[in-house]
Formats: sequence, C-alpha cells, structure tokens
Amino acid sequence: MSTDVPAVVRMGHDLVRNLGHLPAEQATMEIATHIRKFWEPRMRHELLARIRWGDTTLHPLLVAAAGDLVDGEVDRAEIREPSGG
Amino acid sequence: MTIIDEPALETPDHGTPPVWGEPSAHVTIDGIAVMVPPGTSVMRAAKIAGIDVPKLCATDSLKAFGSCRLCLVEVEGMRGTPASCTTPCTDGMVVSTRTEQVQQLRRGVMELYLSDHPTDCAGCERGNCEMQGLAHDVGLAEVRYGFGGASHLDEAVDQSNPYFAYDPKACIVCSRCVRACSETQGTFALTVQGRGFDSRITAGGTDFLSSECVSCGACVQACPTDALTEKSVIQLGMPSRTVITTCAYCGVGCSFKAEVQGSGDATRVVRMVPWKDGGANEGHSCVKGRFAYGYASHRDRQLSPMVRDSIDDEWQVVSWEEAITRVAEGFLALREKHGVGSIGGISSSRCTNEEVYVVQKMVRAAFGNNNIDTCARVCHSPTGYGLNHAFGTSAGTQDFASVEQADVMLVIGANPTDAHPVFASRMKKRLRAGAKAIVADPRRIDLVRSPHVEAALHLPVRPGTNVAFVNAMCHVIVTEGLWNEPFVRERCENADDYLAFIARPEHSPEATQDVTGIPASDLRSAARLFAAGPNSAIYYGLGVTEHSQGSTMVMGMANLALLTGNLGREGVGVNPLRGQNNVQGSCDMGSFPHELPGYRHVSRPEVREIYESLWGVTLQAEPGLRIPNMFDSAIGGSFKGLYVQGEDIAQSDPNTTHVEAALRAMELVVVHDLFLNETARFAHVFLPGASFLEKDGTFTNAERRINRVRPVMPSRVGKDEWQVVCEIATAMGYPMSYAAPSQIMDEIAATTPTFAGVSFTRLDAEGSMQWPVTQAAPHGTPTMHVGSFVRGLGQLTPTVYVPTTERANRRFPLVLTTGRILSQYNVGAQTRRTPNSTWHPEDVLEIHPSDAELRGVASGDVVELSSRVGTTRLTALVSDRMPAGVVYTTFHHPVTGANVVTTENSDWATNCPEYKVTAVQVQVVTQTARAQAGAEADRPSDAGAPVPQPVAGRS
Repeated sequence: MSTDVPAVVRMGHDLVRNLGHLPAEQATMEIATHIRKFWEPRMRHELLARIRWGDTTLHPLLVAAAGDLVDGEVDRAEIREPSGG
Repeated sequence: MTIIDEPALETPDHGTPPVWGEPSAHVTIDGIAVMVPPGTSVMRAAKIAGIDVPKLCATDSLKAFGSCRLCLVEVEGMRGTPASCTTPCTDGMVVSTRTEQVQQLRRGVMELYLSDHPTDCAGCERGNCEMQGLAHDVGLAEVRYGFGGASHLDEAVDQSNPYFAYDPKACIVCSRCVRACSETQGTFALTVQGRGFDSRITAGGTDFLSSECVSCGACVQACPTDALTEKSVIQLGMPSRTVITTCAYCGVGCSFKAEVQGSGDATRVVRMVPWKDGGANEGHSCVKGRFAYGYASHRDRQLSPMVRDSIDDEWQVVSWEEAITRVAEGFLALREKHGVGSIGGISSSRCTNEEVYVVQKMVRAAFGNNNIDTCARVCHSPTGYGLNHAFGTSAGTQDFASVEQADVMLVIGANPTDAHPVFASRMKKRLRAGAKAIVADPRRIDLVRSPHVEAALHLPVRPGTNVAFVNAMCHVIVTEGLWNEPFVRERCENADDYLAFIARPEHSPEATQDVTGIPASDLRSAARLFAAGPNSAIYYGLGVTEHSQGSTMVMGMANLALLTGNLGREGVGVNPLRGQNNVQGSCDMGSFPHELPGYRHVSRPEVREIYESLWGVTLQAEPGLRIPNMFDSAIGGSFKGLYVQGEDIAQSDPNTTHVEAALRAMELVVVHDLFLNETARFAHVFLPGASFLEKDGTFTNAERRINRVRPVMPSRVGKDEWQVVCEIATAMGYPMSYAAPSQIMDEIAATTPTFAGVSFTRLDAEGSMQWPVTQAAPHGTPTMHVGSFVRGLGQLTPTVYVPTTERANRRFPLVLTTGRILSQYNVGAQTRRTPNSTWHPEDVLEIHPSDAELRGVASGDVVELSSRVGTTRLTALVSDRMPAGVVYTTFHHPVTGANVVTTENSDWATNCPEYKVTAVQVQVVTQTARAQAGAEADRPSDAGAPVPQPVAGRS
C-alpha cells in the first residue's frame, strides 16, 4: 500500500511526476529548487540518506535533483521569488 | 465614514436603492433644495433632504414596489398623488410631502391597516414597530371600522424555525419579506397567496422549516412589524446598544451589528444584524452568521486552563500561570533534549490577524524555528502557490462587487450557495439579470438549476481530472482563434511555449472526454462562451485545490484568464472562494513554514533582517515543517511538541489514523481552543480560547478585505488569546508584550509592505480596506493587476495533466468526494452547538441510484464506507445529484469522521490533501442500529462533556 511509502519518497515522486515532462536538466533544477524552497532540512537529509543507503525505489530524476542539493545551504540565487502556499 | 464606538441601533433607511450617477437633477421637496442623480426616487431624495416620507412596503435594500400607498406625495405639474417610492426625480421637480390631501389619504390607509392588526403595542416583541410610529406620524387617533368584522387576528404563529417566528396576525402583507427572499437572497421561498383580503404570506404552502427557506433572516430584517421576529428578541427583549464586528464563519466576512443588552461580564447578545455598510455583505447574511452565535455561550465552552501528565489521565483545572509555565517548560525541555526543530505550532484560520501574527512570532523567535503552518495547508495552499506563480500575488484578483460586472461566470469546484451563501446571493442576482454560468462540478449543485437561475452549461467533471478539463478549454480557445492576442503579447511571458503546448491534439475536448467525462461538444460550447465574455470571471473552491494537481489547476485557470484577457478590470478575474473567515489573513501573516509575513521566503536575508532587528533574534533561514510533515516527523520520532491554536486537526486532516498516531507520538500537545475537540483527546495542556465576540482585531476575507473584529464582551476566559501567546513566549525566555492588538497591527504594517497603510484608526475611518494598502493605494486595492501584474508580466505555464495515483479499482470501485453544507461549518465545533443541527444532524453519504441499487442500499440505511486506509459508517441518501461512480459526504460530525477514509495523497507542490478523490467501497451494514450504537459508545461525546472541577489546592 502506498501508505507504507516513506513521505519523502512519496513527495519526491510527486515532484517527478509533475515536473518530469520538462527536459531532464530543467526538471532536475526545478525539483531541486522546490525541495530547497519547501522541504525542511531533516526531510532533505532523509532523502540524501536514502540515496547513500542505495534506495533503489528512487526515481533517477529525484536522485539527480538530490545531487544538486547542498547540505545545510539554501542558495538564494535560486529563490527567484516567493511562492505562497 | 467614521465608525463611532456605539453606533445607533437604527440604521437610516432611504426607502429605495441608490441610483448611481452624477447628482445633476435639482429637486425641491417641501421647500428644501437637493441634488440627486436623475432617476433617484422622490422618497430617497426626500430622505437625503432630511424629510422622512411615511412608508411600509419600501426599504432601501429592495426595489420599489408601490403597494402600501402611504408614501403618496404631490408633484407640481403631475396629476394625482403618485407614490414617492416609484416616482423618479427629474430636473426641476417640485414636491410636497405633507399637504392636507396627502395626509388625509395616509390616515385613511393607516386606518385600514390597523383595522386588521393587533393593537396591544405593549405586547409587541419588536419594540420599534414601524406601524406604531406611522400611526402617530399620520395623526391617527382612532380606527372607525372597529374590530368586530372579518380579520386575521386568530391565525396561529409558525414557530417551526428555531430562530424566528412568523405571526400572521401582525402581518400587513407589505411583501417586503417576499421581495427580500427573492431579490436579496434569491431563494424565492416566500410568496403572497390569495388575493385581496385573503392575501397572506406563505412559505410555499408549508411552515418555514419544511419550506425552501434557508433561514438567512433577510425577511426578518425587512419586516416592518413583528410578524417576523427573532425568537431571541421575543425571549430577551430589545437590545440597548450595538457593536459593529465581523462574522467568524466563512471567507465572505460579513459585517454585523452585534446588538446587545448590558455591559461588561453581564453583556448578552440579543441578535446579530447584518450591517448595511459592510463592504463584503452590504446588509445580507446567512443562517450561520445571523443566528448561529450561541456556541460562544454553550455549556461545552471550556473556560479554565487544564493540564494532565498523560492523555489517559483526567484533566485538572489549573491557574493560567501554572498552565503557561507548564507549556513553556515543556517546550524548552523538548528543545533541549531533542533539538530546536522538535517543536512547532499550528495557527488558526479562525483567529484574528493579530493573534496569528504573534503565534508565528512565538514559533520563530521563542521556539527558534520555522515550524509554523496553518489550516490553509489543507484548503487553499495551492491558490497561494499557483496565483503567486502566475501573477505574483497569493490572493484573488477582484473584490466581490466585481461579480456585478461579469457576463460569464465559470464556477469550478465550488458550491457557493452552501459554502459562501451571501456571495452566492450576489452571483444569483447577476445571473437573474442575464449573466451566464458554466458550472464545472461532479455534483448538480444549486447553481446548476434553482429558482430563476439555470446554468448555461453543467460540466460534471470527473474528480481528479480538472487539469485535463482546463487544458481542453484553453485548447479550444487557442485553436479556434478565440484568444486575446494583444493582451497575451503585451502582458504575458512564455506565450509561444504555452501556445504550442496547449494546441497539441492530446489536449482537445475529443481526446480528453473519456478522461474528464465531459462531452466534447459541451466543452467546446463552454470554451466559446467563456472566450466571448466580454467579461468572464472564474470562481473556484476546494474542488480545485484539494487534488494531487491542485496547484497545477490553479495555474491552469490563470492560463485561461490570461489567454482571454480577463484580468485587470472589474467583472473578470480569478477568484478563490476561501473557506474560513481568516484563512487569507493567516496566510498573509506568515503562517507558512517557508515564508515570513507578506509571502517573503525565509531564505532572503534582507527580509530576515527586518524582523531580526525588530525582534532582536536570529531567525532560521531554512523552511520549517508543514502540517503533514509534522505528523510524519512525529511518527519518525524527531517532532515532539505541538501548539495548536483553533484547529481540530484530528477531525479535519486526512487519514485520521495517521494523525492520531502522530499526536500520540508527541510528548507535549497544547490545544488552545473554545471546546475540548477531537485533537484535545491527545493534548496535555488545554488553554481556553476566546470566541469572536470577545476578540479585538481584524479578519481578512476572500477578497483581501481587512475588517475589524470588535469586542462585544470581555474575554470569558480571563485573557485574550494574543496575551496568552505572548506570555508563553515570555516564559520561554523571549519577552513579548503589546499594550493592545492595535500595536500588533502597527508592527505588521511597519514590516509588511502590502499592509503599510493599515491601522485600527484607518480601518475605523474607512470601514474596511483591501490590501495592498500602500502609498500608491492609500484606500486599498479592490482590483489587482491593473496595467501590470505584481510580478510584471503574467506567467503562462504549460500544465501537464498527471492522473492521480488514487484510482477506483475492483476493491474500491467508487470515488468519494467531500464538501460542506450550508447550516454546518467546517468540523462543526461551532455550528453543532447551535440549533443549526436542526437542518444537518449528521453527515450522510449521497450515493447515485444505480450504485445504490447494485449494493442494495436505500435511503436511511447505515452503510460502511471503506478505503485503503480506513472505514467508517454513515447514513445513506440515494440521490442523483452525484453522477454514477461518485459518492459524496460532508465532514461536520466527528462521530462519522469522514477523514478516517481520506488518504495521504496530496498536491505535489503544497501537500494540500487530495480530499476530493478517495477510492472507496460502500456496503450496507446488516446490524445497523446495534452497530452504530456500539460505535458511538466507544467515542467520547463532544456535546455535554463534563467540565472538570477544580482540584483542592489548585486555583
């Protein structure tokens, strides 16, 4: 059942499903930016930990986007404008 | 206009509605010269000149009717004695209102009225009956006809409605009530039955409760005698003073006169009367705001702080000092042991802007993190995301009055007659005047067909397919050349990419009809109608946002408005119908984990600097946890403490089992609320909250209108909610205090550009203001994006349809969607504690006849509703309002707990739960009565819960 899927995996794959239609490089950047803007650090850490552990259920786009995340940093240059919600 | 402290109980009545235009007609009335717009009634012109013309059938909220014949006047050059209410002013007119002939006619008319009217004025409940005043005015000393003949003085009183009584004896058949029900409310529940002497007002041949009456109170307000009177006035007598305040129910934000007796702790509300000058409601109301305020004094109201060590212990009443110390020490201990991110808060979308602001300040400055979220998470967070992305502002683009200029209304995923009734009345008025409606909703809502209103098209879009639908609309508009090219080229960016995307054949109505369930021909008709306008407006609700592609759909609707140039003027726009009284304000005040007030990301150093220098702390630059993430982290063991203000997350949030597990996993749950709600079952500290009647602050409604909430009575719990929050922060080591809520708003204004011109003083002077309120717009901004968008150019965004992962299957072959009903509100904590439960005592499951027949379900059966996450039981109602394959219920009653079955699926961008799409199965429960009784016995009752007694030794 999908309720057994960890939340960060479910949320990450939701991002992939909705942004994956973009060219791969753009999709990776959009997913990474979204995670940077909206995911609390422990959620990012959990995602990165899963990648380090070799979680094979993770979509390649999500893994690529996670690779763009710099642990503990928020790149202001990518927060072009605020997003309510 | 200045709001005085104790406004007069009586509001001036000009007799007929205003006529807009330049006051260019010179009129002389009883020797007094006045200038009015041509077409203004003589009655209204006389009132402007300070002359009251006697009237009974006329009131300025209704069109002139000319039936009572009391308002007769003489006009130079005009034969006879025309009715002043139906006679329009022309330039140079000379009028006499009190000639001997006119006075004699009036006495005769009044004499006839009084011959069939109770004369025991001392027994009249109203206390200000217009009949009594008029009798004196016309100099009537006796009724020569006597009272021995035929009359209506022995007719029975209709007491069926819980809030008002109809006494036919006192009725003069002026038909104000009938016209109020039709013109103002648009329900047409009342009529005049019979002719001549036999004319009587009837609610469709039955009593009020059994009729189509929606209990809005417009008829009661219009009635000039005590034929229609509030039962509260009958019981308590007339009020002695008035406080103007704002309703605490839905996002319309109606302004009311709270009419009371007494003062201080002895204050008693007699009635709530809609305020004629209210910017949002203009003198109208619904059953909730008008009558359902009794919850504020319900016996279930918890008035004392309470604590317990374990959620399995009994509550112990304690002093405020002890409770606040418990909260502060508890959060500090958790932070010390588990880290700064282990605690957080949820602010209320029902509390004032000032209260919500201090909650997010407490979390950011005292807790030291950004773990603050609000109930917008579960309703309109996609609105914020999508509209900010498209236009640059997280709010609707128009004011409510804009609907009066709309030619076409596209209503998507909203049921305004139930959820925003006062605004729906305005929509219906416009529709009766000739505007057209396109309703996109799986249900046959009232706007599809009701008295004198019929939608041009009803598109029963399948739940979960909104984006395919809006893409098809845009596809037609682009491929048929119906788009507004000059607007798009001048005011939008990314146009070429978007136009190429949307023109692709997979977005056509023919390619999507099997997905959406909308016949291609109907969709093409809808698109052409919308594009033709000339003013086309989009109104939408949670049927848009509470989907896995809620944010995408909001951007899709923005695309539709941009393509057709329907932005930046009146009569158009993208209009979110926000559910709660202050959900807009709660978002504005920085209740999101990634944004400071004014929708500015926490990562921006120049924004943090504003607050860091003012608050004297270093703020976190990282986003905090959203509500669903708080639950996940609690179950994961890293989130341990939660302060919840005015939200019942255990009832309102999806997947109740998951929420309850999260709450159980926490070590400190603090609930700050009016009642011991479902969430309080898992709380360790209960802090009693203040009702809207006790609050001093502001609410911001769905049209960005900031309205004052004025205290009608002192706080019944001994403290204001903002004070409690400040004391918690102070006890945690971050001193926080204000002398008054106005100071909180001053701080908001000083730090938030869109609120720069807002203050209590300015709000008292202006009545209300719509943000942004800035130097450029000192009186507020009714219509946004005039000339340019807040972000500069509007963003056209390719919106790819991604089907939800929640699909009907063999095990769960139906789709559940949820919504609201008129008489109940949200989780029902307030309305269930009022006579509103007369209309909706339980949540029922609406099921299509074919689905019901397949399962052997009949109306009244108790059925089991199950999904992959849970099961509950409801009473079934077989109805063809829903299409086959879709079932519908509301979420107002915790006993049936609709969210036991809703899932963790959510909007990809905001985590707004996908309440509108849950795969379910429905089965008849064989042991109906015994099973339901067993279920109810296992759950704690929300009504009549015993109030814990003080323990010896504690204050």
